[in-house]
Amino acid sequence: MHSSPAPRRSWLNFRSRKQQDRLFCFCLLLPAIILCVAFILIPIVDSVAMSFTDYKIANLTKNRPGVWNDFANYTRLWKAGKLQSAISITGTFVAWTVGLTFVVSMALALILNSEPVGARFLRSIMMIPWVIPTVIAGLLWAWIYANPYGLLQYLVNVFSKGEITDFGILNSKNTALWGVIIAGLWKQVPLMTLLLLAGMQNVPDDIMEAAKIDGAGYFTRLIHIMIPYMRSVIAVSVSMCIIENFKQYPLFATLTNGGPVGATTTLAVLSYNEAFVNNNYGSGAAVTTVWLLVMIVVVLVFNLIFRRGND
Amino acid sequence: MNNRSFLRISSSLFKYLALAVIFLFLLFPVYWMLVTSLKTNVESYRIVPSLWPENISFDGFNTLFRDGKFLVYYKNNLIVSAIAAVIICIISILAGYALSRFHFKWNVILLATFSFSQMMPVISRLISLYSIMRRLGLTDSHLGLVLAISATQVPFSVSLMASFFDAIPRDLEEAAWVDGCGRLKTLLRIIMPLVVPGILAVGIYSFLMTWDDYLHAITLVRSPQLWTLSQGLKLTYLGEVSDWQLINSASILGAVPMIILFFFFQKYMIKGLVAGAVKG
Repeated sequence: MHSSPAPRRSWLNFRSRKQQDRLFCFCLLLPAIILCVAFILIPIVDSVAMSFTDYKIANLTKNRPGVWNDFANYTRLWKAGKLQSAISITGTFVAWTVGLTFVVSMALALILNSEPVGARFLRSIMMIPWVIPTVIAGLLWAWIYANPYGLLQYLVNVFSKGEITDFGILNSKNTALWGVIIAGLWKQVPLMTLLLLAGMQNVPDDIMEAAKIDGAGYFTRLIHIMIPYMRSVIAVSVSMCIIENFKQYPLFATLTNGGPVGATTTLAVLSYNEAFVNNNYGSGAAVTTVWLLVMIVVVLVFNLIFRRGND
Repeated sequence: MNNRSFLRISSSLFKYLALAVIFLFLLFPVYWMLVTSLKTNVESYRIVPSLWPENISFDGFNTLFRDGKFLVYYKNNLIVSAIAAVIICIISILAGYALSRFHFKWNVILLATFSFSQMMPVISRLISLYSIMRRLGLTDSHLGLVLAISATQVPFSVSLMASFFDAIPRDLEEAAWVDGCGRLKTLLRIIMPLVVPGILAVGIYSFLMTWDDYLHAITLVRSPQLWTLSQGLKLTYLGEVSDWQLINSASILGAVPMIILFFFFQKYMIKGLVAGAVKG
């Protein structure tokens, strides 16, 4: 390489500029990195580690590291059947909430996309449940579900022609989870509708129009044209909804607190109770570790199926 | 022909019926909250509920303003959310710009880590976050709470902000560079004014999300004078015997500002929210 001095200088210049860029970029990212590492990554790793140890309130107050206890946290929770039941309740809750949210949101988005009277106005007031803080959403539904005096038990009374007089959706083992599912559905339909509506803007009108002229019915067009075009939006919004519901805790805290008789004790409720009610932090961490694994597997499987099914 | 127009009318009838049912489901609970906050408890506890209060009563609001607790929770929440929103904005302007403009290898790793940490349930880190905060002496303080809730919003906000920076042409920086404008100055003086909508979207989104926080507050903050709104509502007002007028009044006061904020800035918010999901 026998280059003349002038281009060489510019090459050197370029290199130093690139190095400066690198340094500048690093400095810009530093605050975000520090915050995320200190308050997200380290706690997650630390809590996975904690789950293999005996870690109780004394360890916390005396600042003593936990002692390895041969998976005792996991085996104890498993033998008591708490882990299995929490996994299955979480699964039921997530599956129903996400499924219903998707169906209702898709219906609402399709209707709004057909530009009914007042579509713009409806589109903005529909977001109200999403903006309402989750704890307040919980209190609002707790009042509707209240037994006695709640609106729901009155409606059930009227519609059953006075046969069921004190219906308390949260008081019975069989219906309590449904109380939370309805509240979750109410809270999450707006955002998913918004995202699906945005995805519908990407569906080319001319293809829809051409299919209509060719005599394709509404549902044929929906399944063969619209949904394939919306694939990535659906994948993202449903993944977001799955994660959101896996994480759900405030609704359970305000509505049921895991009861009655553990019928709504999801992994979130179980880990919170183990750690902060029973003060057994190691055991709580074991639940969250299982929870993380289950969630990662579910999201991965969903994405695999969804990508393959449509490619 | 007759048959077809009948079909069209019935399908549009069905459409409006479905629309009405879904909106009834979404909005009636909010209306019910408002109405209950204006009813006396005697009226709320009737067997046949009334759709509109017979005598409008502001007792719930009066009690809340005078009980010396509600306003403290409210003020705490405002302070915590506002400071967190500002911190999140600053961090995501810097980091979002870096991710949008420079494409170094570790940026990809960082993005992956960010989106992974966004997935994590809050409780999964709360247990050890609590012990870390204890060691740092940050439990039972607003500073610790602000840092913790800012961290949870940073991953999403950074990628949201980056998508706004992506829309700004790179020629601007090249021109500024040729004019001898430094990197930081270019960002602050030339690029930042162009992403004001993005900053608003990130700021309001983070304010809404941190206002919603319940878990961090309930584990990290113990003293009642530091409680935030959600925590105070749950721990003070939702007791064994609930005063529903009071609870609904408090809920209205907690929800209405958020609704107003959203309506004022919905243009920016919706753009931001949708950009994140539709692009991916």
